[in-house]
Amino acid sequence: MLVAGVSEALAAHLGWSVTRVRWSFVGLSLFGGAGVLLYLWMWVFIPLDATERTPVTRSFATSAWLLGAGAVAAMVAIATANSETSPYFLVLLTILLTGAAVAWSIGLDREDPSKGPRYRLLVRSFSAGLLVLTGVLLLLSRGARPDALTAVLAVFMIVLGAAAVAAPSVVRLWTDLMAERAGRVREEQRAEIAAHLHDSVLQTLAVIQNRAGTGTEVARLARAQERELRDWLFGGTAPTGADLATDIRDLAGAIEIDFPVRIEVVATGEESQAPAAAVVAATREAMLNAARHAGGDVSVYIETTRSAIDVFVRDRGPGVDLTKLPADRLGIRESIIGRMARAGGQATVSAGVGGVGTQVHLHVEASDD
Amino acid sequence: MTRVLIVDDHSIFRSGLRADLDDAIEVVGEAEDVDSAVRLIAELEPEVVLLDVHLPGGAGGGGAEVLKRSADLFERVKFLALSVSDSAEDVVGVIRAGARGYITKGSSGAEVSAAVATVASGDAVFSPRLAGFVLDAFGAVSGEQAVHDDELDRLSAREREVMRLIARGYAYKEVASELFISIKTVETHVSAVLRKLQLSSRHELTAWALGRKLL
Repeated sequence: MLVAGVSEALAAHLGWSVTRVRWSFVGLSLFGGAGVLLYLWMWVFIPLDATERTPVTRSFATSAWLLGAGAVAAMVAIATANSETSPYFLVLLTILLTGAAVAWSIGLDREDPSKGPRYRLLVRSFSAGLLVLTGVLLLLSRGARPDALTAVLAVFMIVLGAAAVAAPSVVRLWTDLMAERAGRVREEQRAEIAAHLHDSVLQTLAVIQNRAGTGTEVARLARAQERELRDWLFGGTAPTGADLATDIRDLAGAIEIDFPVRIEVVATGEESQAPAAAVVAATREAMLNAARHAGGDVSVYIETTRSAIDVFVRDRGPGVDLTKLPADRLGIRESIIGRMARAGGQATVSAGVGGVGTQVHLHVEASDD
Repeated sequence: MTRVLIVDDHSIFRSGLRADLDDAIEVVGEAEDVDSAVRLIAELEPEVVLLDVHLPGGAGGGGAEVLKRSADLFERVKFLALSVSDSAEDVVGVIRAGARGYITKGSSGAEVSAAVATVASGDAVFSPRLAGFVLDAFGAVSGEQAVHDDELDRLSAREREVMRLIARGYAYKEVASELFISIKTVETHVSAVLRKLQLSSRHELTAWALGRKLL
């Protein structure tokens, strides 16, 4: 019979069989309870095996048996309460057995998957009921004039019964309170750190960027760092879950690290039903082209309405002439125009305003279904 | 020469910016917190104040507090907000408190100088991201449109077009040539949008402002 796993641990440690260790404990217990004391002492002081936390299933319903024994003791106590001798020993036994049942169900059966919260609740309510009922009956014994010791024990029983009912909610209230306080402290600390980083590190990163000039290695690193820090600082309030704009921002951030380019992503509008995967892939290709061939400042504008998605990617580079592109250059033709066409949309690649740079416009309508 | 006051609590940033600004700008002073900023603005009356959004001192209101306490000088002194981030939360507050535009601290000296010149001539400076925010906040993306020009809670069709192009990274000049209008007209539209941004009581805008305790 498994109690707390002390015998098993000891057996594993000494290389004995578990049964042998258990019988040794039983044998030692015969000498004035030494085995029980040793067992309890080891239970308290031997550290838990951290690697193995498999839930333990005990086939023996210890709590129920303890409770049953307590009930028998209580009945005998009540039966003898009207005789001359005070039944205080039986009353004490009842209290001990019932208390042990509750303690066992709360302490040891908690990790037992075969005994759920319902079982624990049942043990607790029966214990409380038994204690209160016994207490009341004892008080009413001898024509409601029990001897002093019995009366004191009976009142104690009623109080214990009430405590057994209230204890879990009190404990839960207390743990909740503690958890809430710890959470608040953490939140305050985080806010303080965030404010400090905002006022110091973010400012410094901004200075580094404008001193180093767009496109330099240092400025790119500072910008990437700034973005990461900002995500961490203010990420908590932003809606999580990937949407089109977040995806494109992430891609832009990755491209900024690899190329001397500053990509400004502006997104407007709402959630769209349009197929976005092709748009994200095509936008990535357009941003990569801009980063590779133009560099400098690249603007990305995303507009999502209920009926369509529009993405504009513009750079201020040397521009691109589609008719003069060699046939083996598939970047624009396949990855942008072809991909958008397959997704039921369209892509337009043209010279930027005033003939400066390139502008890629992706458009896809929302599907009807 | 444009007379400029730099308000920022980081001395490294102030001196860096001062060195980077071009020759057409004369820095007449520097302030490092709300109280000294308010005092120096009243004393020096610079044409443009480069105002950091996050400032210590005063009642803790940062750049917006400086604007509120200097509101009686708006005729003579223009404010350009400087922000370490260009998130709408940071910027809409100072714009509603009276700034004529904003620019991120990562911008180069030339960009800041150009923005100072724009603000000094009475026009507004809109970044792509602020334009994007305006389009969202005024419901322009979902098709809301002002019927009358003086309607504060919606954008007119032309203003929407201008904002969309700015959000796409177009300079005012490029917006003008794309829409076949003059730069002056573009600036007029942008100023009109700025006015709406400052005066509108649209729910989205007031929610921002309330969230940051700016009203």
